[in-house]
Amino acid sequence: MGAAFVITLREAFEASLILGIVYAYLEKVGARDGFRFVTWGGTVGLLLSVAMGIAVTFLSGPLLDLGPDIITVVVIFAAVGLLTWHAWWMQQHARLMKGQVQHRIDEARAGNRLWVVGLIAFTGVFREGAETVLFLWGIMAQAEGAAGWSSVIGGVAGVALAAAIGWAIFHGGRHISLSRFFTVTTAFIMLLAAGLFATGVGRLQGLGLLPLSEPVWNTSWLLSDKSVAGGFLSGLIGYRSQPTVPELCVYVGYILVMGIVLFGRRTPTGVTLADPTQP
Amino acid sequence: MKWIAVGVGALVLGALLGTALPVSAQSAPEIPLVIEKNRFQPDVIKVKAGQSFVLVITNKDKGPEELDMQQPRIEKVIPGGKTVRLKMPALKPGKYPFVGEYHSETAKATIVAE
Repeated sequence: MGAAFVITLREAFEASLILGIVYAYLEKVGARDGFRFVTWGGTVGLLLSVAMGIAVTFLSGPLLDLGPDIITVVVIFAAVGLLTWHAWWMQQHARLMKGQVQHRIDEARAGNRLWVVGLIAFTGVFREGAETVLFLWGIMAQAEGAAGWSSVIGGVAGVALAAAIGWAIFHGGRHISLSRFFTVTTAFIMLLAAGLFATGVGRLQGLGLLPLSEPVWNTSWLLSDKSVAGGFLSGLIGYRSQPTVPELCVYVGYILVMGIVLFGRRTPTGVTLADPTQP
Repeated sequence: MKWIAVGVGALVLGALLGTALPVSAQSAPEIPLVIEKNRFQPDVIKVKAGQSFVLVITNKDKGPEELDMQQPRIEKVIPGGKTVRLKMPALKPGKYPFVGEYHSETAKATIVAE
């Protein structure tokens, strides 16, 4: 039961983190009607996860050998791109906000980019979704006797706890000020995207598309990626117990570049992008 | 921001092409690996260092298993009753442990490259 609980909690944590943040974001900018984009994105992600879980049990040959890997890598890099875009955009708007509620709503809708958060929700759910579906399905198929069914309960409880964490983020986000919310979530999204970027590069190495390299350090004795704490840290800040040189470079490089882009040049941009509706 | 999107797009395209091509390379040696009763058979796999190979993994169990290697980073789902060909990159001499993530207490094995 414990093992199943840890696996599904870890797999579902990142998705619920992302969902919690984007729902809270829409709530904060007063665009509750945009919830449907996120709900749709998440639902489609879930349905496609189930579809992929079913598909791999029927597929065979090269489609089964390579299909899931290609999809995973594409989804990882798409998620990095979308999260980067969203973080950049939030930061731009955080600068423009002068506290006028109507203004905020208009800004949020400017360019009609709410669908981007729907896509983010989709990639967030779909990334680990198929694996979680397959895992739960597997333990259900093999469930015989009390031990088997306690695994099923553990697996479902893991997903439920992850969902509860996402919900807590959504609720917690409502009670902090808008500018702080934007700053904190921008930073979180940046770390999350950096971790995903490193994961994607690691996967490319594993697929033999990038040269292999030795891990720079190995802290799996201290904090395993597979533990609950390691899984949380991996979802939150992209923790890796055995990062390779390219993974580390991409992670640090991404944070440096995005840190400067997002948090660096406040004054000049702030002046040029001053709110035109203000006298 | 557009350039980031373009860069990501290029990476993804590269990944697609790059992953699709090696399929035709049949020269890499094939090494069988069986999953049965939530264990890997054999649990020590000896391979030649510096040469890529293909793990031909057959899952004889009913449920799926996920081969999970930390270094290099490999995650591969093998549905129940299926055979998956996993192309492995050339490894330096050393030990490369992996687990079946869904049954990590019993499904443990090591690739030894020498």
